[in-house]
Amino acid sequence: MKKFIFFGILSFLIIISSNVCAQSGEKPLRIFGYFQNEFSHFAGNAVHNDTRNTFNLQQMNVFFQKNISLKWSAFVNFEMVNNFSSSKQWGSAKLEEAWVKYDFGKAATLRAGLQIPTFNNLNAIKNRTPLLPYVVRPIVYEASFEEVVTLEEFVPGRAFLQLYGFMPIGKYKKFDYAVYLGNSPNINNFSTRGQTGVDTTNTFLVGGRVGLRVGDLKMGVSGTMDKTNLFTRITNFFNVPSLEPFEKRDRFRVGADLSFQNDMFMFEAEYIDVSYEEYSSDGLNANVIDRLEGFELDLAFYYATLGFYVKEPLLVYGTYWRSRTIEPYFLDLQRGFVDERERLNVPGFGFSYQLSDRVRLKAQYARVNVNVDIGGNMIKVDNTSNFYSAAASVFF
Amino acid sequence: MRNLIKIIYIHLLAICCSTSGLLGQAKETPLRIFGYFQVNFTQETGTSAGSESTNSFNMQQLNLLFQKNLAKNWSAFVNMEALNNFSSSKEWGAFNLEEAWVKYRGSKQFNLKLGLMIPEFNHLNTIKNRMPLLPYIIRPVVYENSFEDIIDLDSYLPRRAFAQAYGFIPSGRWKFDYAVYLGNSPNINDRSALGQTGVDTTDVFMTGGRLGFRYKEWRMGWSATYDRTNEFGEVNLFFQRPPRFFNERPRLRTGTDFFLRWKRLSWESETIAVNYDEGDERFDVDRLFYYATLGFQASDALFMYYTYWGTEDEFVFVDAQPGIIPVFDLYQGTLKIFVPSLGFSYGLNDRITLKGQFSWVDISSDDEFFKVDFRQNVLSLAISAFF
Amino acid sequence: MIKKILFIFFILMGWQAAQAQVAVIAHKAVPVDQISSAELLDFYTGDIKLWGNDEAVIVFDLKPKGEVKEVFYKYLGKSPSRMKSVWMKKLLSGEGDPPESMKTEKELLEKVMETPGSIGFVAEDKVTDDVKVLAVITREEG
Repeated sequence: MKKFIFFGILSFLIIISSNVCAQSGEKPLRIFGYFQNEFSHFAGNAVHNDTRNTFNLQQMNVFFQKNISLKWSAFVNFEMVNNFSSSKQWGSAKLEEAWVKYDFGKAATLRAGLQIPTFNNLNAIKNRTPLLPYVVRPIVYEASFEEVVTLEEFVPGRAFLQLYGFMPIGKYKKFDYAVYLGNSPNINNFSTRGQTGVDTTNTFLVGGRVGLRVGDLKMGVSGTMDKTNLFTRITNFFNVPSLEPFEKRDRFRVGADLSFQNDMFMFEAEYIDVSYEEYSSDGLNANVIDRLEGFELDLAFYYATLGFYVKEPLLVYGTYWRSRTIEPYFLDLQRGFVDERERLNVPGFGFSYQLSDRVRLKAQYARVNVNVDIGGNMIKVDNTSNFYSAAASVFF
Repeated sequence: MRNLIKIIYIHLLAICCSTSGLLGQAKETPLRIFGYFQVNFTQETGTSAGSESTNSFNMQQLNLLFQKNLAKNWSAFVNMEALNNFSSSKEWGAFNLEEAWVKYRGSKQFNLKLGLMIPEFNHLNTIKNRMPLLPYIIRPVVYENSFEDIIDLDSYLPRRAFAQAYGFIPSGRWKFDYAVYLGNSPNINDRSALGQTGVDTTDVFMTGGRLGFRYKEWRMGWSATYDRTNEFGEVNLFFQRPPRFFNERPRLRTGTDFFLRWKRLSWESETIAVNYDEGDERFDVDRLFYYATLGFQASDALFMYYTYWGTEDEFVFVDAQPGIIPVFDLYQGTLKIFVPSLGFSYGLNDRITLKGQFSWVDISSDDEFFKVDFRQNVLSLAISAFF
Repeated sequence: MIKKILFIFFILMGWQAAQAQVAVIAHKAVPVDQISSAELLDFYTGDIKLWGNDEAVIVFDLKPKGEVKEVFYKYLGKSPSRMKSVWMKKLLSGEGDPPESMKTEKELLEKVMETPGSIGFVAEDKVTDDVKVLAVITREEG
């Protein structure tokens, strides 16, 4: 089956590649980009009394785009976050996208190469800061938090082949679809076998989104399926004869999105649920299965934003994010696991002011509440902090 | 001073009013992409015990710049810098995002820069990485970015700020320059559990500025920055002060700069003094840097110079003895670096400059516990290209 | 008396405005003879980039704000600023380019005349026989 897919795709690419030479429409390489500088103030909480002020070159992206012919185009996206400096080991620099696209027409477009796949409403445009009113994006989309939040557990960060398009189903009504293929999360799992950055297992990420657009209203459901070796580390705690029951375990991400935008209001909301098949009982003896009681990982996230255009360039909005993580909290070999349930509730409000087509000013307040409950009231933490931030996003 | 405040106030109002110009996208120009690099060959010859001879070719520095006029008074600028044969796979050199700012050009009296920038400090700071503008291969040491791995450049200079107002006030043939800015303190990543790398994790700021004047070919100025540092936090292991006593200790950096051109001769010099309020008389870690360059413009293309620069770093050396109760001896000393050089730069054309430099490096410390006597001669040849 | 004159003046102005018509024009060789507002929106948002004969759709916009632009965008059902954000999203996603904006209707008309596959809009009274009219938008009264 895999060979069939591989050769099918290869033959198809060879056939359509003849069009590259045959068609005119080549345009000069275009280079553009944007950056967002922020100032943020952390007003402290019960655990960390210290307040914090920081300026931060939160994100900068440089794009290279070229129309190779009428139907082919190429796109490259470099991203740097958090005052990137390799000499000081600050922030990070990444090649986020490098793909070539073939337009079949409205019904289908094929993208091949490193890309951010379609998942819900925000994933594909999450790093386009000039398009977004937020200083700090809904947390699973905030690239500058990559060091403190496992963003890629929630949303697919990379894919390598995607077919997408839309079909009109009436006046101002469209049916959208996207299907894609990428690496599983098992990058560098067996680093002795290969280079860094490549999948070292024979599994894939497959995913997609189907949606509906009716005028200014957009909605859709998304899903990805892949297999992870994330749980093999648990074998350190158990004397299991083989890693196999913990290898290549299924991970399912399911998402739903709803958005609306007109000249007066904007509304967007998303839901993401991530569930895992943590281990297979086959090959494990009853004793180990007993001790694995409570070994469970489950993630969920949702956000909603309601905005109002006070005046054409000024948008004020209220937003609410909530994430829920259930993960195993390891006690000891005898007592096994209990749940660690963490809830993040972040209500906030902000504004964005489009100073020009090129400059967007932003401000945001967020009240971050972290609630941790281990073992059903065994350990409880309830912490609330206030964040204030202001930013300027410049498109050059 | 009142006039200055008035000027700033009027211009802040103008920024608000100028948004209509921005909306109209007047004077927007295409994105300009340009850059420069400098490749050098260096031969070091040891002239003291422990000083070895080495040869090296080095892609010393490459900068890629993006510039765009966004509207009549607004422009954006991005500067990326790769140093020392940068290769992430080999973990060689460094790649840094040096600048990404947007500028409002109000008038000659008032300009505002917002975003990551190199702030005004003395004469050379803002232009230190513009290799085609400088005759040096190895810049006066605190400005030499390619030495970042071996010298703590950030302690001498403010290398990053995020908001700066600057301009000059003409008065006849005199021009009075000013710049004031705000940035992060040096306490980046101090509490990394709280956040990302690269951000300040304390609630202090760096503030600074420069005042100067110009008259024909004569220019001088005074610069200063004030911030608070956590860099002595670990010292408390030995000094048994209250917790956090050594946190957020004040640091004052002051600088002077002087430039004069007379016919074919030129003189430029700077001093930088870094003073810490360590909070404990038992140790002192202040720093001093100075340089001066005497230049001779032999022809339009050929510039020859003699330069010397030096640093004096006070340091404290702790000799701790193992035991339940810590026993330690403190050795206070000074490390001196003194480097006179002779050099030339030859502009082959508008884009390419050839450079040569010969330096006598002398590093010494008379401290009895940490004695240093290191001498080396360094010959460098370089080509700098602007693309 | 002055009030009466002003009243007549405003009535006349209103009548004129009611008559303001905008023509959606295209290059003579495009393979369609008429266009709906939904199709027009697809072209201007970049959702559809090719004509039926596989020729590229090239859209032109008018730079200065004015009645013609206002009528056209109202017909599309989006404000100019909303359209700008749509174009920005396409640009930053590598999905298309914003339309080229012309300084005058005359310039736009000439550009459509000479660019195969192009589409634009001008006041109906400016239309010449060198372009194809795909739709005529009448300004709604009030």
